[in-house]
Order: sequence, then structure tokens, then C-alpha cells
Amino acid sequence: MTTKQQFVTIKGTKDGLVLRLDDKCSYSDMIAELRRKVSENSLEGVAEVKVHTGHRFCNEEELREIMAIVHESPHLRVSKIQSDVISMDECNQKIVERQSETYIGIVRSGQVIEAEGDLVVIGDVNPNGKVVAAGSIYVLGRLKGMAHAGAGGNENCVIAASWLEATHLIIADKMETMTDELTILSEQPEMECAYIHSNGFIAIDRLQELRILRPNLSTFKGGS
Amino acid sequence: MGEAIVITSGKGGVGKTTTSANLGTALALQGKKVCLVDTDIGLRNLDVILGLENRIIYDLVDVIKGRCKVHQALVKDKRFEDGLFLLPAAQTTDKTAISPEEMKELVTELKRDYDYVLIDCPAGIEQGYKNAVAGADRAIVVTTPEISAVRDADRIIGLLEAEPIDPPKLIINRIKSQLVNRGDALDVNEITTHLSIDLLGIVLDDENVISSSNKGEPVVMDPSNPAAIGYRNIARRILGESVPLMSLDTGKPGFFGKLKSLFAK
Repeated sequence: MTTKQQFVTIKGTKDGLVLRLDDKCSYSDMIAELRRKVSENSLEGVAEVKVHTGHRFCNEEELREIMAIVHESPHLRVSKIQSDVISMDECNQKIVERQSETYIGIVRSGQVIEAEGDLVVIGDVNPNGKVVAAGSIYVLGRLKGMAHAGAGGNENCVIAASWLEATHLIIADKMETMTDELTILSEQPEMECAYIHSNGFIAIDRLQELRILRPNLSTFKGGS
Repeated sequence: MGEAIVITSGKGGVGKTTTSANLGTALALQGKKVCLVDTDIGLRNLDVILGLENRIIYDLVDVIKGRCKVHQALVKDKRFEDGLFLLPAAQTTDKTAISPEEMKELVTELKRDYDYVLIDCPAGIEQGYKNAVAGADRAIVVTTPEISAVRDADRIIGLLEAEPIDPPKLIINRIKSQLVNRGDALDVNEITTHLSIDLLGIVLDDENVISSSNKGEPVVMDPSNPAAIGYRNIARRILGESVPLMSLDTGKPGFFGKLKSLFAK
């Protein structure tokens, strides 16, 4: 056994196996060693492994290549690929998605308001008006039109309104038309929120329940 | 320099043309110099309601296409001494015959000679609407206490708010007081909260509006008619007066009502 530095190390941690790829060596060296390591692997059965690329930025194609090599071994399955770095674009997109945009005014019939993150509407959303957000939607006013939260597919998003009397509620790809037959509708639609229930359907509850239903939505830090 | 006001609604048949005719007449009665412009090319009505149909020689399209001068096309209402004029719409072409830019130029020209230029807008939100709104300084949205008219008013208000003009004002037309008092129709409050714009005035439903329109004499000429009072109040508000909103109780006052009116004296 030579004493040269290893580019690929497999470590057992309390979360399972971690395949750590060196981020200082060249990509081709790392790939060559990964191939060797995977083929000489003496595991039995199938183990889930987390791939960690350290500070090396790998594009989609490279990540696919790494996955494919690991999967060449019948004993290894990649559960997750982790990295300490992300691209500038991805980072900016994340910032945008986390942002909350505020619209002050009335969303009238025929108008569409779109946000890439959360959306706060201060005013009413009138019938045939539409609000769309990749994140959650909060209406400080009467929501009487259409609302689409989690437009990018995030099912954890919610739609909350001072007065929830929407015609259509959409969260991710689930849609509910608020017809009279709907049992979830309340007489006094005041201070309510809509979310995707664990049964897969859109449910409506009091606004106050949100802290229990979606505690992760809170980004508040500080206070005492 | 006068002011150009567009009268619009989105939905058809809510009384844009009747309102234009009556407000124009009411402003003329107040001694203002008014020019009414009918932009409903292809479906002109304003001339008929004013009883000026027979005097049309040239029309809006003739003016814009340079076939005549503006003053040649203007039809004078002889009931007013140089107070009320109409620029009729063309009937033989359609709304695409003119562009918003041409319309704006024309309205600017008219504003030099008149205190008020009232633009009667066609129904819909297409070319005709765009033409009508182009030259306006402010807008009046007409609706009736029906859900469909209110929805369309909401749409048109949204479009108007995107224009570089003052926030639009609302007229609720054809209010049937009995229906409202019974709670069977949308009431004034409900409509104004829903649309969230300033209310310019209300006009009660009255049979004489139709019969007088048919005679070519706007109902506003009759000072005792309830609809006419509504129109006159709106005209006064346009002129900047503050006039309280009329009450919907036109039915016979009950015992307590009589008693109240007795004490009010």
C-alpha cells in the first residue's frame, strides 16, 4: 500500500455511509479513483451512501457521472449528493424564492399578480383576479378571486387571508374549486388559511392553527 | 383649458349613453360649455337620445380623417345657447377606423374650446374602449346593482387604474329602491366596498328615463324627476360642490317617518 493521499474516502457516520470526494485534486483523478474504490468495494448487501463533494462545484452532468459510477457497484445506492458550494445563479434564485414581495392595491378582475417568493397582498383580490406565488400567499384583505401558492411545486406553502372567500385555491398542483357543496367552507370565512392536508387534499383551518400545521414557515429570529 | 371625462362601464346596457347625455345636459344647465363625443363607432346612440339625429352632417371619423373641420361636425343643441354640442360617431365604419393617438389629439383640441368634454365609451375592453380612454383626464365608471355589471366594472377599473389618469369615480345607475330595501339587490354600500373607489352618485330607476330618451329629450330637463335629481347632483359634484347622497326612501313614509319629518321642520 502506497502512502499517497486518498482522493476518495468512505466513512461510516451515525447517519450512514459517507463517500467523501477530495476537492483539491483534478476531476479526472478523482473519477479514476472513485471507479477503483467502487469496484474493489467488499461490502455485502446494499448500503445507502451519501456522496459529499466538498468544495468542488460539480455541474449536473458531472453529478450524473458520479452517481452512475457509484451505482456500478451492486452494493451501493446514492441516497443524497451533498456539496459545500452552490453556483451564483442557484444562490440568487434561492434568495429570490425566500423573499417576500408586497403588493399594495386591489387585484381586480382580469389582473394577475405573480411573485417568485412569498406574496403579501395588502388589499382585496376580487373575483376573476389571480395571485400566483412560488411561495405562500398572505392576503391582508378579502380574497375573493383565485390564489395559487407553491407554483413551483412546493406543497408546504399555504394561502392565508383575512377573509378567505376564494373561487379557486391552488397549492402546488392541487386545486380546489370553492363550490357550495364543499364541506370545508365555513360560514364566517374570517382569518383562515388553506394548506395541503396529510390526506393530500386542500383543507382550510383557522389562521391560528398555522403555527402547528406549518411551523417551518416561520423565519422569525430574535425577540425574547 | 377644459377637462375630458370618459364615461365607461365594460358591460353593455348599463346606461353609459344615457348617463353621458344627461350629465352633459346637466352641466350645460349649470352654464358650462359642454361637448359630448360619441365614440361608439358603428353603433351610435347618443345623437338619438339627445334628439339630434337629423342634424348630423359630418361625424367623428370625418373629422379624424381630415374630411372636415371639427366645428363643421359638431351638432349644436338648440335648447342651450352655445352650451351643448355633440360630436357624433360614424355609423358606416367600425371602431378600428381611428387610433388612440388620433383620438387624443382631437380631445386636446376640443378641450381648448369647452369646459367639459364628455366621451361616451362603447361597451367592451377592445379598440373602442382604448380610443375613448386615450384623451381623457378622468373617468367615470357606470354600473348597475347587478353582479355581472359590478364584475365588469371591476375589470374596467383595473384597466383604468393602469392608465395615466386620475382614479376613476363610480356612478350606480338604475337603483330600484324597493328591491334594495327588501334586500333583494346589491346595495350601494356593498358595491362601493367591493370596487373600493369613490362614489360619484347614484341614479334611481325611473320609467321616464326611457320615455324621455325616446322623445330625444334627456330626463334631466325635468327637475322633479328622481332620476333627474340624481344626474343633477352628479353634475354638481363634478363641478366640485359637495352634495349629500340622496336617500333611497322614495316610498310613502311610515308613521314614524312622518313624525320625523315633522320634527325635522
